[in-house]
Amino acid sequence: MSAPRVGIIGIGQSAFKPRRDDASYPDLVREAVNLALSEASLDLDAIEAIVYSLSPDAMVGIGNAERLGVDAVGGRNKRFLRINTGGATGISSVAAAYYHVAAGACDVVMTAGADKVGECGDSQTVLNKIWDPIYERPLPQGTITMLAMSGIRYADKYGMTQEDMANVVVKNRKHASLNPNAHLRKEVTVEEVMASRYISWPIKLMDCCPQSSGGGAMILASERYIKENRLDAVWITGVGHCSETYYIGDRMGTGYTADHADAYALRNSFERAYRMAGVTDPQRQVDVAELYAPFSNTEYHSIEAAGLAGLGESVAQVNEGRFSIGGEIPVNPSGGTLCTNAIAVTAMIRVAEVALQVSGRAGGHQVKGAKLGIASGNGGDHQFFGTMVVEA
Amino acid sequence: MGLNRKTAVIGSAVLAPFSGDDRSLEEILYEVSQQALKDAGLTMDDIDGIVVGSNDQFDGRAISIMAASGSVGGVDRDILSTPSAGEHAFVMGVLRVASGQYDTHLIVSWSPLEASSLSEAQRLGADPYFHRRLPLDESSAYALQAAALGARSPVAHELAEPICRRGRENGAAAGIDSSAIPTHPAAGHAHWPVKEGMMAAATSGAVALVIASEDHVRERGIECPAWVRGMGWATEAAFLGDRDLAAAEALEEASRRAYEEAGIDDPRSSFDLVELTGITPFQELIAYDALGISRRDDWKADIQSPRFTMSGELPVNPSGGAMALNPVFCTGLMRIEEAARQIRGKAGKHQIDGANLALAHAASGVAMMYQTVIVFGTNAEGGRA
Amino acid sequence: MELLKRQENWNITYTHALGEIASWFFVQIRDNAKIYGRRCAKSGRVLVPPRAFSDQTLEPTTEWVEVGPGGKIETFTIVYEPFHNLPEPPYAFGFVQLDGADTAIGGFFKGVDLADPAKAAEKLAVGTRVEAKFAEKRIGDLTDFWFEIV
Repeated sequence: MSAPRVGIIGIGQSAFKPRRDDASYPDLVREAVNLALSEASLDLDAIEAIVYSLSPDAMVGIGNAERLGVDAVGGRNKRFLRINTGGATGISSVAAAYYHVAAGACDVVMTAGADKVGECGDSQTVLNKIWDPIYERPLPQGTITMLAMSGIRYADKYGMTQEDMANVVVKNRKHASLNPNAHLRKEVTVEEVMASRYISWPIKLMDCCPQSSGGGAMILASERYIKENRLDAVWITGVGHCSETYYIGDRMGTGYTADHADAYALRNSFERAYRMAGVTDPQRQVDVAELYAPFSNTEYHSIEAAGLAGLGESVAQVNEGRFSIGGEIPVNPSGGTLCTNAIAVTAMIRVAEVALQVSGRAGGHQVKGAKLGIASGNGGDHQFFGTMVVEA
Repeated sequence: MGLNRKTAVIGSAVLAPFSGDDRSLEEILYEVSQQALKDAGLTMDDIDGIVVGSNDQFDGRAISIMAASGSVGGVDRDILSTPSAGEHAFVMGVLRVASGQYDTHLIVSWSPLEASSLSEAQRLGADPYFHRRLPLDESSAYALQAAALGARSPVAHELAEPICRRGRENGAAAGIDSSAIPTHPAAGHAHWPVKEGMMAAATSGAVALVIASEDHVRERGIECPAWVRGMGWATEAAFLGDRDLAAAEALEEASRRAYEEAGIDDPRSSFDLVELTGITPFQELIAYDALGISRRDDWKADIQSPRFTMSGELPVNPSGGAMALNPVFCTGLMRIEEAARQIRGKAGKHQIDGANLALAHAASGVAMMYQTVIVFGTNAEGGRA
Repeated sequence: MELLKRQENWNITYTHALGEIASWFFVQIRDNAKIYGRRCAKSGRVLVPPRAFSDQTLEPTTEWVEVGPGGKIETFTIVYEPFHNLPEPPYAFGFVQLDGADTAIGGFFKGVDLADPAKAAEKLAVGTRVEAKFAEKRIGDLTDFWFEIV
């Protein structure tokens, strides 16, 4: 069965900040919803179904916090459900909204959410509880240590240095300085990154994403609705998901399916999305990419999993500027997850940013002439990977 | 509007209650998924995608669906999750198959009893801005709902006992030995007007379903699929104070949509059986009305007659429903599983002979906040067989 | 205007069932200071820590295999930042493929001076041989043992 076309007709995102004491959690969701509705020139009555985007409840400190968001998204008596795939939640939610339309269930669907990561005190305390209580949680695991361990393996396998990691930070901070919605917008130098303190070797403070507060919302519609109402849209042409084992220790040793150095399931997820979109040569066909990489080192294996560089080859190419704005395939022109991370919507913002790029509305961080973009999200313990191809 | 492609349930399994000592949660999930695949005559290699639903606060795991990666069979496969409700995993799975991008899906939901207090876990769902200081767990929300119903329809208090009795009797006939069910010591107590014994105590459960597209069913020659003829889902507002607790507006909307898709004009006389979610008898009454199978004015006569009994015109909860067994987070998805099992003719002791059209109702969240309605048929479309 | 805040704690205790496989594994660690894995008959791989089934083959594992105490470092990190409810830094931990195992098991690395991050990281490089050491008082948990460089 060929896939019906599904368009993106509205995007809303907060100007992300470290804290938002002026707004409650549902207020933040509503803020993004209003922005998306106003961009699409729609009112809430036009929304037929809602996919609520929210990762762990504990992060906002409210059990099943999606319930509190029902009114913020105008959900009463409408079709409403919540998606959670950890850090990939945002892109999984856009995918879930896509399936609502592609299934023929409705013409107009909204996905929305928000996060106030700063309010849980210390996200690593919450995130330690994602591991199985029997074997891997007794260790002081967190998402930082987990991806530091990926970086160690990547460096061992391909020869990445900490200066190489710093180059990613410099690139993304420069991009973020052009994006008014980014959280960390101050440019930095390699020396400054190298001088920042170690958090979890080899990851230093400036190699880490911030804990951000803000909301995101996107409105998707069927091709029929878009044509009938003569709306502007960009199109979701490829969608993929793929998962790895729950156990970090199973991604090493001998005979493993995935190597924790790489992003095995992200590659497979991209292959699915590319197959659906008819992308056969991503290096030639992709104009812009927003890849979920909360720590500098993980951008390298993400670029490679997206097929934008061969295994181990992305390091040299980042250094050469191939993935900077003005380069051949800009990666994370918004500054990416490294500069803004409101976990529940971070991966949604990846899709939203790519949609803005291919519609030529990305403002100061616009990639010239971008027509085909890709987005990704990673969740769980580097376990759930969602990907998308968006075209003008 | 109807979906772009037809979907059917072709296999399922339930472990409820499961023994909580000899197996870890992941081992339970492995077992229930493998059993559902076996029931469908498939292996994991035949499965294109997975949707799971679980609750972090009940499980004591942040992003609790992570446990499903290996156990359910998700390594190198496509997983989504709907932590809002177990039944939402089913809805999402059907949408994914109907989109044409998947031929098969495995749907899994679970509810362990490993928390020191389910009541406390539920109270974390009250917003910290206004309501967290109130003792708002699910039991107290059920009581507020029951009180609201009793105020509008005093007859509800009188009908509660016979409804409970029917549920227990059906459950016993279906083989559920309620005295042997391990329950949670701190699951929450009855609150007036829900009396002690009117709710089954919370227990553990895991449920898995295999669904497939019409193309897959045809190509594999699968026998007795339970076709999804109509599907509706909707939510109420979050704050109890914003809702009419004596009614279920969202359920009216969900059933309107499901009936429209299934071509049901008269729900009262259309179905061979109903599996509905009534944790309390008061919820069951509210569901009758919103589903259109017994309006308020008919409640008394319908309940005093044999209409809803196993031998009546419209058996309600042949399995005993949540009245007999309540594995909290997957109770709703279990109703869907039961209704599909009836249509597949695999309900065993409590099989309704010649079941052609079945109604499944799942409710989750505080006082039936999330409402889901599925119409299953032995035929993919058209009237009765 | 005056903006209010409210502090809330989540405090629920969970009693997680380990199941037969993990129970036997931890009893061996507690009572005999030995580490065992489970072999997947289909792939032949030995899973350490032991699982009742392989998530690759989806077949039940069938056989206990003693592994270690020697092994090699597969990955590590050294934590210098304090996190709520996690140990006081600095500490090093990571994953080790024990001799006879196909997967890696997590544990702390002890006996390495962590004061100089770069020097410590060099000592813990991927591939370094280590040995599992057991605490004298063992409770049947993963932290009953740790790894030291051979």
